[in-house]
Amino acid sequence: MSGGYNEIHPEPTTFWSKYIISFDHKVIAKQFLWYGIFFLGLGGLMALLIRWTLAYPGVPVPVIGSILFPNSAGVVPPDTYAMLFTMHGTIMIFYAITPILIGAFGNYCIPLMIGARDMAFPMLNMLSFWFAFLSGAVLLASFGLPLGAAAGGWTSYPTLSTLVGQPGLGQTLWSLAIFLFGVSSTMGAVNYVTTVITLRAPGMGYFDMPLTIWGLWLTAILNAIFVPVLCAGVILLMLDRVFGTTFFLAGASATSGSGDPVLFQHVFWIFGHPEVYILILPAWGIVSDLLSFFSRKPAFGAKATALSMTAVTILSTLVYGHHMFTTQMSPLLTQSFMTLTMTISIPSAIFFANWLGTIWKGSIRFDSPMLFSLGVVFVFGLGGLTGLHLGTVTTDLYLHDTYFVVGHFHYTMAASVLLGGFAGIYFWFPKMFGRMMNELMAKIHFWGTMIGLNGVFFGMLMVGYGGMHRRIYNPFIYESLQRLIPINTFITTSAIVMGAFQIIFVINFLYSLKKGPKAPNNPWDVGTLEWTIPSPPVHHNYDVIPVVKCGPHEFGNPNLTTGRDFQYQTEDLVKA
Amino acid sequence: MVLISGTMLFATLLMGYAVYRTSAPTWPPAGTLPVKLVFPLLSTVSILLSSFFMHKVRTEFEDLKKAKLNLDTTLVLGFLFMGLQTLFWSELRNSGLLVGSGIFSSILYGFTWIHAAHVVMGLLSLLWLRFVLKVETRNLDVKVLNVEKFWHFLGIIWSIMFLTLFIL
Ligand code: HEM
Ligand SMILES: [Cu+2]
Repeated sequence: MSGGYNEIHPEPTTFWSKYIISFDHKVIAKQFLWYGIFFLGLGGLMALLIRWTLAYPGVPVPVIGSILFPNSAGVVPPDTYAMLFTMHGTIMIFYAITPILIGAFGNYCIPLMIGARDMAFPMLNMLSFWFAFLSGAVLLASFGLPLGAAAGGWTSYPTLSTLVGQPGLGQTLWSLAIFLFGVSSTMGAVNYVTTVITLRAPGMGYFDMPLTIWGLWLTAILNAIFVPVLCAGVILLMLDRVFGTTFFLAGASATSGSGDPVLFQHVFWIFGHPEVYILILPAWGIVSDLLSFFSRKPAFGAKATALSMTAVTILSTLVYGHHMFTTQMSPLLTQSFMTLTMTISIPSAIFFANWLGTIWKGSIRFDSPMLFSLGVVFVFGLGGLTGLHLGTVTTDLYLHDTYFVVGHFHYTMAASVLLGGFAGIYFWFPKMFGRMMNELMAKIHFWGTMIGLNGVFFGMLMVGYGGMHRRIYNPFIYESLQRLIPINTFITTSAIVMGAFQIIFVINFLYSLKKGPKAPNNPWDVGTLEWTIPSPPVHHNYDVIPVVKCGPHEFGNPNLTTGRDFQYQTEDLVKA
Repeated sequence: MVLISGTMLFATLLMGYAVYRTSAPTWPPAGTLPVKLVFPLLSTVSILLSSFFMHKVRTEFEDLKKAKLNLDTTLVLGFLFMGLQTLFWSELRNSGLLVGSGIFSSILYGFTWIHAAHVVMGLLSLLWLRFVLKVETRNLDVKVLNVEKFWHFLGIIWSIMFLTLFIL
């Protein structure tokens, strides 16, 4: 299908075609990066407001409180609190992590790392960003509504999300925004899948692809299949809200059968569980590569890592029921979902062991991308373990809808993906912008983030285990939860610390963009294709399409005669 | 540029699949009036016929005149389908089955709306193809093929909907 699509497109000349409606995957990647970082900041701010409320309910938020909540003397009102946690989740998942990991790295890395000149469908790529932009605009607009934005949780279960639970336009705009986002994601995903299949450089077999590409590719496949399920769900929700259908309204009409709120939960989690892997797979891929790059060793069992990521991808489609153990499904079903859920641990353990095998006895270089990658190994290991408690029906009945779940998915998803994303930004920044970031600031950023993050998320596990429910406005009106006040204060303090250290990142990012030292072609001594060309690459990436002759992780071969400890993928494999 | 429609096809395919997945857990409507089948039946005939002509656009492509004629026929039948759908909706409304009267009508209306929205996109791409037939020749076969696939896809989905919603 792609015959002739690897041709050199003429370079755009006007500002408009170069930066705004650009077809260039590198520019689109940067657009997604800015978009994602903007929403990351917004979501982070909301998180701090949520945390403030949980530690000091009824106390005015310092500094910004009186501006944001003038009618309640600076205190976060209860309905606003519900809106905050809803929009925090929505923004972080769909508007921060997805654009950065998938939009930015997917767009940037896929063509460069497989030796292509652009995506298979550049125009679709451009549309994908602008649909995402539109979606973000709709979401932001919903904050200005008289009744505020959506407040039914990021999962938007009916009846919370129906007109009964939530009058007003907020939830409708939420559904519309998610629908537009879904269209954007699907367009991106189809593009990525096609690009990886058809535009790999000559000589590059699937197992010669960097694991980053494996992760992004598997993610795109899941995206293409399951995001439309969510789209269908939110369309039905919109029909319910706007046109008066009753898909999710129980008992709406006694004569002609009623809708079913739980139906939405099925639809949501058929999408939702694959979604969590959609988010984590790119991070896994990036980390698998970086661990090898900075240990100066071949990735241990790279093929097994790729295959076990594939296995997780497949299994992830079969386990969604573990989110619904408490919806009175039959024990037969809960047992099956539990068994399938536990099966995922096997491939996960395989690549986790491979990560450890990769760094084992490596000559590790502790550059910032490596620090963040090691951080991922730590938090993902811990978070993965908490999944077992939740995947087991008996323990989940107690832990469901407590802060333990919140801690679980923040460790596995938020923390892992955030750290993986930072690793990627520090690693590819020189290639993207042609300048180096400041290493010292990056390291300070790492330690501050790591300490704050663990304080927050481990604290969440503890209060959850102690019985604190999620999504409650003031936990301390319950006598049984009053003993958890000190831990909650500790979590909030950690969150503020973590937030403060992100300022260092922003300063570093902006400063290096303008003033950082010029980056060489290959600052990290890595052999994958993107490091064979200038930083930043020219418009069409490769003057000559490279021919691939070996895998991406050829390090530490004593027989190398080039004076380097690695070889480029374009060089003939030297026998060890 | 060229393959947009091809990709559209993909996205929509999955979309359609998804819509059906959602239909599975809630079916039997209790004591609903039987729906009159005339318009859905005619719709089925028209969309299937149009698929047939769309197919002929490609197989008899050498002769540009014939191709145009076939495409026009497809278009007319496509619009006929939309007309019939509109009649179907108004008939439903007249017989007292409103959007808000329970899950059964929700599904009838909801699904036919979603499908109709896709047919509108299909009609737009047919019109686009009609336009392209006039002015351009590059990669024409690919464009025809993609639009054709998309159009068949709509026909197939409608047939499935017809079977599951109205017959079974
Ligand atoms: C060892 C593997 C894992 C197992 C066994 C597991 C199991 C579970 C279970 C049973 C729940 C439902 C808890 C409840 O609501 O009572 C859950 C929630 C969740 N998990 Fe995992 N999980 C695993 C890995 C992951 C990963 C890798 C991610 C993300 C990248 C993730 C993200 C989430 C999210 C987002 C939720 C909750 C969403 C919500 O209710 O708002 N999990 N997990
Ligand atoms: Cu899950």
